Amino acid sequence: MQSFLNQSIKAVIRDYPEVGQILDEFEIGCAPCSVGDCLLKDIVEIHNLSPEDERLLMARIAGVISPGEKIELPAVERKKPAGPKELKYSPPVKKLVEEHKLIKRCLALIPRLLEYLDLQSEADRELVLGAVDFIRNYADRFHHAKEEDILFKYFDENLDILKVMHQEHETGRAHVRAVLAGVEERDSGVVREHLDAYRELLKEHIKKEDEILYPWMDRSFSTSQVGELYSRFGEVDRQFGEAPQKYGAFIQGLEERFCGGRIAG
Amino acid sequence: MTFQGCPGSKTFDFRGEATAEESPGEKIKSQLKQWPVQLHLVSPTAPYYQGADVLLAADCVAYALGDFHQQYLKGKAVAIACPKLDEGQEVYLEKIKAMCEEAKINTLTVLIMQVPCCMGLLKLAQEAVRQSSRKVPLKYAVVSLQGEILEEEWA
Ligand SMILES: [Fe+2]
Ligand SMILES: [Fe+2]
Repeated sequence: MQSFLNQSIKAVIRDYPEVGQILDEFEIGCAPCSVGDCLLKDIVEIHNLSPEDERLLMARIAGVISPGEKIELPAVERKKPAGPKELKYSPPVKKLVEEHKLIKRCLALIPRLLEYLDLQSEADRELVLGAVDFIRNYADRFHHAKEEDILFKYFDENLDILKVMHQEHETGRAHVRAVLAGVEERDSGVVREHLDAYRELLKEHIKKEDEILYPWMDRSFSTSQVGELYSRFGEVDRQFGEAPQKYGAFIQGLEERFCGGRIAG
Repeated sequence: MTFQGCPGSKTFDFRGEATAEESPGEKIKSQLKQWPVQLHLVSPTAPYYQGADVLLAADCVAYALGDFHQQYLKGKAVAIACPKLDEGQEVYLEKIKAMCEEAKINTLTVLIMQVPCCMGLLKLAQEAVRQSSRKVPLKYAVVSLQGEILEEEWA
């Protein structure tokens, strides 16, 4: 059966005329077509049937071509059926939204991390410093730099919404500095306060970007600007090399340690 | 009786519905900045593709879409092809790949008709970009038989 998927529909119908009738029943009128020579699998994919209809169609064709044989039905890639529309971002903006997901996974770990925090323990201090390293290098140098140095530059810097975004990045940086000072002083109250404030700030900040700022920016970009943004972000990705993957593994390690697996994002 | 053929060659007659407003008297300028345009004829490394926003349009599109030149062709390098009738489409795949990798195109916009077989051109472009070592943002738009844009998305 699988090999028939890669055969031309003309050949299949010639050898198994019944297949032509079955296709007709699903309003896929290949039998009388005199031009073109599509593959069976492409026809199934292109016609974008409902999953139920597709399964039924494939089962019926299989019944004709290889009766009695147990068949694996092919998973055909399809466009999403109409339904509640999820936000569609341009490819460069989508990259940023993906980065947010890793940042949100870090944020979700903060309460667990604070729960048993003991700054007298070197292991705990290292843990906080590890989280700060993630925030500074991944969330800030890698991600916020793409926003501040590239994305936001396409817009008037005096726009209120951009001023707010810049201000929130700065407030986040101040919290991180306070966390580091707290670790230095072994002051767990300060570490708790600022790490938690950072979590709250960034959670809302990311929500604003994902749901309002980015879609709005995307609507204003020309096709050409989208391409330019994509290659400029690609340039930043290249500069950071393996670091983003390293931070992904770091977060995953914390999730396994604290929660037995992923808890957000 | 329901139509039994390929939807791509089903006959429609819109004569009663033709609404075309008269153009404003002035001659409309072509936005075409290159020759050739057919995908078998073009070289993917031709200067007009270098770093360009490229439009890959199904053959029928320019006939259906009233504002093709201003709305889509303007500012872009173009290639046209028919996913249903053209031979040697593996060459198309290689050419689109070469546009991404060698001509370092900025974006690829695929314009197809709403008939199901035209989806093949988008699939071809997606496969070429997927195989390419250099990724390029890919957008598509679907044009109705009467020239409306039914859908326009980043793929
Ligand atoms: Fe931000
Ligand atoms: Fe962000």
